Amino acid sequence: MTCLIIDDEIQIRRLLRLALESRGHRVLEAESGQTGLQEAAFHKPDVILLDLGLPDLDGLEVLKRLREWSRVPVLILSVRDQESIKVTALESGADDYVTKPFSTAELLARLSAISRRHHSEDETEIQVGPLTLDLPSRAASLNGQELRLTPTEFELLKALASHAGKIITQSHLLKTVWPGHHTDQTASLRVHVNHLRNKLMPMEIRNEPGIGYRLLAV
Amino acid sequence: MLEDPTRPNPDALLAEARREEARHSTGHLHVFLGMCPGVGKTYAMLQAARQRQKEGTEVLVGVVETHGRHETAALLEGMDLLPRKPLGHRSLAISEFDVDEALRRRPQLILVDELAHTNAPGSRHAKRYQDVLELLDAGLDVYTTLNVQHIESQVDIVQQVSGIAVQERVPDSLLDRAQEIQLIDLSPDKLLQRMAEGKVYLGERADHAVSNFFKETTLTALRELALRFTAERVDRDLDDLRRTRRVTGTWKTNARLLVGVGPSPYAESLIRWTRRAAARLDGTWIVAWVEKSSPLSAAEQEVLTRALALARRLGGEVVTLTGDNIAAALLQLAQERNVSQIVVGKPEHRGLSGTLADRIIADSGDIDVCVVRPVAGRTPANPAGGSSHGPLTASEVGEYGWALALTFVLTSGCWALLPHTGYTFSALVLLLGVLLAGMRLSRGPVLAMATASALAWNYFFIPPQFTLHIDQAEDLLMFGLFFIVAFSMGHLTSRLRQREIAERRRQRQTAALLRVTQSAALSAESAKGLQEALRVISDLLHGEVILLLRQNDHTLAPAAHPASSFAPPPKERGVAVWSFDHKQTAGRFTDTLPESEATWFPLQTATSTMGVLGLRLSRDARLDFQARQTVEALVLQLALVLEKEHFVQAASRAEMLEQSEKLRQTLLDSVSHELKTPLAVIKASLEGISGTQLPAPADSYTHEIATATERLQRVVDHLLHMTRIEASVMQPEMDWHDLRDILEATRTAVGKSLHQHPLTLFLPDNPSLVRLDASLTTQALANVLHNAAVYAPAGTPVEIHASFSSHGLRIRVRDHGPGFPGESALRVFEKFYRAPGTPAGGTGLGLAIARGFMKAQGGEIMAQNHPDGGAEVILEMPQPSGHDLPDH
Repeated sequence: MTCLIIDDEIQIRRLLRLALESRGHRVLEAESGQTGLQEAAFHKPDVILLDLGLPDLDGLEVLKRLREWSRVPVLILSVRDQESIKVTALESGADDYVTKPFSTAELLARLSAISRRHHSEDETEIQVGPLTLDLPSRAASLNGQELRLTPTEFELLKALASHAGKIITQSHLLKTVWPGHHTDQTASLRVHVNHLRNKLMPMEIRNEPGIGYRLLAV
Repeated sequence: MLEDPTRPNPDALLAEARREEARHSTGHLHVFLGMCPGVGKTYAMLQAARQRQKEGTEVLVGVVETHGRHETAALLEGMDLLPRKPLGHRSLAISEFDVDEALRRRPQLILVDELAHTNAPGSRHAKRYQDVLELLDAGLDVYTTLNVQHIESQVDIVQQVSGIAVQERVPDSLLDRAQEIQLIDLSPDKLLQRMAEGKVYLGERADHAVSNFFKETTLTALRELALRFTAERVDRDLDDLRRTRRVTGTWKTNARLLVGVGPSPYAESLIRWTRRAAARLDGTWIVAWVEKSSPLSAAEQEVLTRALALARRLGGEVVTLTGDNIAAALLQLAQERNVSQIVVGKPEHRGLSGTLADRIIADSGDIDVCVVRPVAGRTPANPAGGSSHGPLTASEVGEYGWALALTFVLTSGCWALLPHTGYTFSALVLLLGVLLAGMRLSRGPVLAMATASALAWNYFFIPPQFTLHIDQAEDLLMFGLFFIVAFSMGHLTSRLRQREIAERRRQRQTAALLRVTQSAALSAESAKGLQEALRVISDLLHGEVILLLRQNDHTLAPAAHPASSFAPPPKERGVAVWSFDHKQTAGRFTDTLPESEATWFPLQTATSTMGVLGLRLSRDARLDFQARQTVEALVLQLALVLEKEHFVQAASRAEMLEQSEKLRQTLLDSVSHELKTPLAVIKASLEGISGTQLPAPADSYTHEIATATERLQRVVDHLLHMTRIEASVMQPEMDWHDLRDILEATRTAVGKSLHQHPLTLFLPDNPSLVRLDASLTTQALANVLHNAAVYAPAGTPVEIHASFSSHGLRIRVRDHGPGFPGESALRVFEKFYRAPGTPAGGTGLGLAIARGFMKAQGGEIMAQNHPDGGAEVILEMPQPSGHDLPDH
């Protein structure tokens, strides 16, 4: 796997290179937003680690420009820990968000989750661990046993399962599950997630308060 | 009729709503109405008040005149009497009702006898009813007494009936505010009998007028007046009731009356008639005054000002029109304002072009015209100003001199030229003289000059000379024509000139208005602009001007604005404050505190009062109707400008705040970047090392580094959090969350430090949704848990109990450690406070941050020692009440 690290701190870049290379990944580095974008265009990395506080461009701007032509998974690695910034980044197209100081082990786990091959539009089946979703018949099964889901729960599970391991913001979930409604349905969302959790045991739907949910593949 | 007759008129409903509102916010007014003195109003009032007192109401007797009657005096026993306020009036011991003391004591009900009473000079208000208004506005209930002849709208009728011109009057608008008018009725026979027994107080002046008043015929008429007034009142109340209860019935058309008045002694009477008629029709009314090009004399202005003031007091709308055709101006206004009836006075004699009433009737179209016979009012007491027919002033004498001198000069010139020109030429020259004089002089001198010229021409030039006799018929005709032409020319030119003067005066006012606006609004320095504006005002009105501005706390500034041209004596300040608080003009030339030196105008815009403007005119100056209008217009301009200035300042302040907030955020971001990046490097490096096998001492060293790093990270977090709290810029994002998610996130946030303490959660049975800011609550809880982990010995359990109470969500975190020593439970939330005997390490900020975060989202945090040992910290978060809860 080829990782592009866009960060102006040389120590962080060196550390990440050490950690990633020791696990057999190829590492590219860029110390500014502009060079980062060039590297991304030239080398087509499999995943990008992006810092928000860059000397030339703001990380969010880099992300925006990148998303104009690429769907490469992006993990934001930043010291900014306010929920609002995390949500903004995720809604601008970032796939996950890790705050500094970080735990290397967790960072690597998140990286592998987002770089996993994403479910593409024309597939009819989603498989996450013991969970199988058959989209045309709108049926779900866990360990081969059929799950009885309401239409809303199915939509919710579909949204979570098609990006398993990745955090899905709650506003994205609200838009997917209740299109046309405004986002003041968080309370209903919580209730539906709860029902889904009970039916999905032992799979886990983890919540990051104020940000969203991710489906963990046991 | 196009309108649905059953549909309630929105105006009427609004009016009723306002009245209803006024009823709630202001005091309750109960008037005991009688036909004349001696019917027992005061007695009835006192009895009613005693009843209220018995029912537990706190009653204060503000002022009651017993006039030595024992029955009345007996009723006063056991009641709370307000001492009267003595007025420092030389030798006379005059005392009046003490409004301030009454307002200070704030009884529930206050008795104020004789509503129509005129206060002694030096009181705050000229009339007692103004005191009552202030009591009502302050929310006090008032009982008061009144005789029907003192009601403003009834004054004319009383005068017709009894021949007495009543001086003490109470405006009807005050009676409109009364919730209850109770008629105290007594038959004239009984009253006369009581009089005979000496039970009626007639005042010190038991003279002819009074005895005339107490004739049986007069009394019967007065009684009828009182009964009818009360009946009309009841009728209107019934209508109001019907309207609000939506009982179908006939809805009155929206009557609107218009009365045209001028500076005539009949004006006041016309105004009162219109007010009565409007009240009966339950309509609105407008008083219009048509300003002609010829200026009014001082006496006329006085009359007019008084009439218009009366109209305002009675609740009418006053409109000033301009134009020389009164009928046309009135009709145009009537059309514009949808007037249903025009009221005009009955003419005493007919002019050439018909009377005003005739002309209005001719063009009135579908508007009704009422022609009323008015009663001449009192001749204005006018000690100061000279009337138009009074003795000539010095400047007028001068003008006559100029006119005659000019006639003399022209006549001599023509005389000298006579041999060369002939006498017709002299006629033209003399006419030219009259024309020129008309351009500079006023009407009287010009007309005198026209007459003098005609006579001079006849005497000196028309043959036979040196006689006033004319031989030839042609000359006679010429002389007649000369006289007519000279006279009309003089008349026309002087009228033109007057019109020009009036125009110039208006222009000057407009220009002043413009200058005030420009100088105050467009000046870069607001203080300088205001100074310029005040100078314009003081120049225009030939007086001194002072400006008191509103402060930020919405009270009046103690010191005058530096642009003011005089400093107010402390006594005047009270007037200014009154005017500011009541949003009314006060001081000299008004009915409120007329003894003051200056007149105070509130700077009132639609939304707020920006301050007050004081105007001090010279001792003998007067503030007539027009000057007052000018001041009011100027004051409004000034108020608008000041308000704009206020908004601009507020906006720039907000912008500055935003800028500094941005700067602060940037700084915080960069500091947190600088602190956290090295921490991240150390932490990641340590993690890298821990994956490899190290020799024993190095392993211990890395362990120490790891512990120190954790601690350092916590300190950095705490400092950054505290900075956010201190800057009070947190904007909590309240949303619904699952309580279990919050607690799970907390457990993750606390991380390793709690590993040695088994954590037990006690949650409500239901999966519970709570409304809070997730990140703030999680941080607060994490800090509390961390604290427990530090203070309780390793291995002891920590419990979290979550429950719902009437206060909302309640989370109790309990450890099994030593608890808070001594009184420290009260202080643990203070910044940097560290309880005695605590282990080293820790910033002393953890719990302070927890409190800051809970408070930011409207929550609360408390600490105590659990009765069974151990410390307990309780976090409370209010929750939306039942109906706001989401559907499950």
